[in-house]
Amino acid sequence: MSVQAERRSVPLARLPDSGPFAPVVPPPVLVEAPVADHRRVAAQYWRLSLAAPDIARQARPGQFVMLTVARPGEPAPVLPRPMAIYGVDSARGTVDVVYRVVGEGTSRLTGWRPGEPMVTVGPLGRGFVLRETMKRILLLGRGIGTCSLTSLAAEACAQGVRVVAVASARNPDALIGPDDYRAYGVEEVIDVVDSDGSSAVDVLAARLDAACADGVDEIFVCGSGRLLAAAADIADRTGAGVQVSLEAHMACGLGFCHGCAAGRPGLPHETPLVCADGPVFRYPDPAAVPA
Amino acid sequence: MSEGPDLRVRIGSLELANPVMPASGCFGPELGQIVDLNSLGALVTKTVFADPRSGNPAHRLDETYGGMLNSVGIPSDGAEAFVERLLPRYLAWSPPTIVSIGGLTVEEYFDAADRLAGVPGIAAFEVNVSCPNLEAGGLEIGAVPEIVERVIAGVVARSPVPVIAKLTPNVTSIAAIARAAEAGGATALSAVNALQGMAVDARTRRARIGATTAGLTGPAIKPIALRCVWQASRAVSIPVIGIGGIADVDDALEFLLAGASAIQVGSATFTRPDTMVRLVDGLRQRLAEEGVASVGELVGTLDTRSSEHDLVTASAAG
Repeated sequence: MSVQAERRSVPLARLPDSGPFAPVVPPPVLVEAPVADHRRVAAQYWRLSLAAPDIARQARPGQFVMLTVARPGEPAPVLPRPMAIYGVDSARGTVDVVYRVVGEGTSRLTGWRPGEPMVTVGPLGRGFVLRETMKRILLLGRGIGTCSLTSLAAEACAQGVRVVAVASARNPDALIGPDDYRAYGVEEVIDVVDSDGSSAVDVLAARLDAACADGVDEIFVCGSGRLLAAAADIADRTGAGVQVSLEAHMACGLGFCHGCAAGRPGLPHETPLVCADGPVFRYPDPAAVPA
Repeated sequence: MSEGPDLRVRIGSLELANPVMPASGCFGPELGQIVDLNSLGALVTKTVFADPRSGNPAHRLDETYGGMLNSVGIPSDGAEAFVERLLPRYLAWSPPTIVSIGGLTVEEYFDAADRLAGVPGIAAFEVNVSCPNLEAGGLEIGAVPEIVERVIAGVVARSPVPVIAKLTPNVTSIAAIARAAEAGGATALSAVNALQGMAVDARTRRARIGATTAGLTGPAIKPIALRCVWQASRAVSIPVIGIGGIADVDDALEFLLAGASAIQVGSATFTRPDTMVRLVDGLRQRLAEEGVASVGELVGTLDTRSSEHDLVTASAAG
């Protein structure tokens, strides 16, 4: 498969089922998770914390949950919402997501109050792979896409991996993650926005080169084709690998609705599915990387 | 065996433990990761074509008021790959597996039936006649009674197991189509498939779905589906399986009363993945509460005097 980025097409491969690049894939569960906390964190962004210990215990960075916005007994909104797991607190048993209010579903979601049980399925998908050989990593997230990377930052920092994180957004109000990144112990947080020109690829590229002067082992991307292309450029020059989390419309999150098939139209097959084969894919193909 | 309402239903020679099954396309064995599929009446596969075919371009899904649009385009790995790779994953569960088949020409249906007939484990075929008919300029195969009868008769001739005709609501007279399917030898009908719809983004002035048009499903179509089940079931003497916006026990009962012998759940499985299991439990409980011994007692027993009737006569008398 390939993803059309603005400057180049980056061919992405499915993470393998075995070997050093095989993600840990815990079995998903369906739970009615009471809302533990729910608050607006920026102009358009809300943070929802669900009491879902069975999911919190198992979830891996880069995995997602499907949240049913319809309350029990309500038949609509019909489609649940796939959301990246922003973070987990395994001691409290909570799973957090951060979402942007973009339409009817997410605006209804803001009405959920603490204590209300939300139908939640997760953890879903094949998440990021953090290998022991990765001593220094770069995270590139834009807008809501950053939500796939925050739990990875937390885990990497906890393991002593050196992390540089870029949070990109249209304007300062839309930046997600910088404070949490710093709290986790991210070595360098670079926030860039369109409104002052700092997110422009050439401007950012110079800062990335400086930040990666000590070398980078793996780059993790979500939320922007331009950032993916920039990551692939760095990868080609330095030998680093790139893992990208893709976003797609989906109805089931398990692999049977085929709403999220990412294969090219015209080919007689449907794979990969973003939900079940991803959402994390890699460039270059993990099979081509020596263990 | 425990006391309680009898939920068993018969679809021809097929005996189901209960009347609840998934609607084709909105289900796969993957759901078994989070839901006990053994509690369902039957399993229904996604539509299988004789040869591999790809689906439609993204976006394939959109949400509407009380419903959803999908234009996945029925991708299929083809009959042989289905038997080899996918069917065993259905057969790992105890309920009977109903295999949905499709085609873009009459011959393609026969081809699919030829390649799947006699495959161990297939309990019945459901013929998806809502596919566009390439021989008739894209009109749905299921929109023309003569073609429906030909397709069903041909599949019935090839099939050692019951054949269910899944009707499209996008027709002038569903009764005429229902009669054609019965004349073709169908064991049962299922009604209805998705309504044709589309969605436009006024802001970007673009279609919201990659294939422009899509199938509308979910609670929004329930009144139309009920009407179709009512009309189809009165037109034929074979069982009808009701489909269209069923999400809770009341919905299921409404379809049974309107003439459905069993029901299928589609979009509601997305909303709540355990909808079907909850329906089975809920039906059992509700029938017990209402003193109904068997689910079959309810089928087609709709009292067509409107529920406002008593109120009206009472006030007229007063």
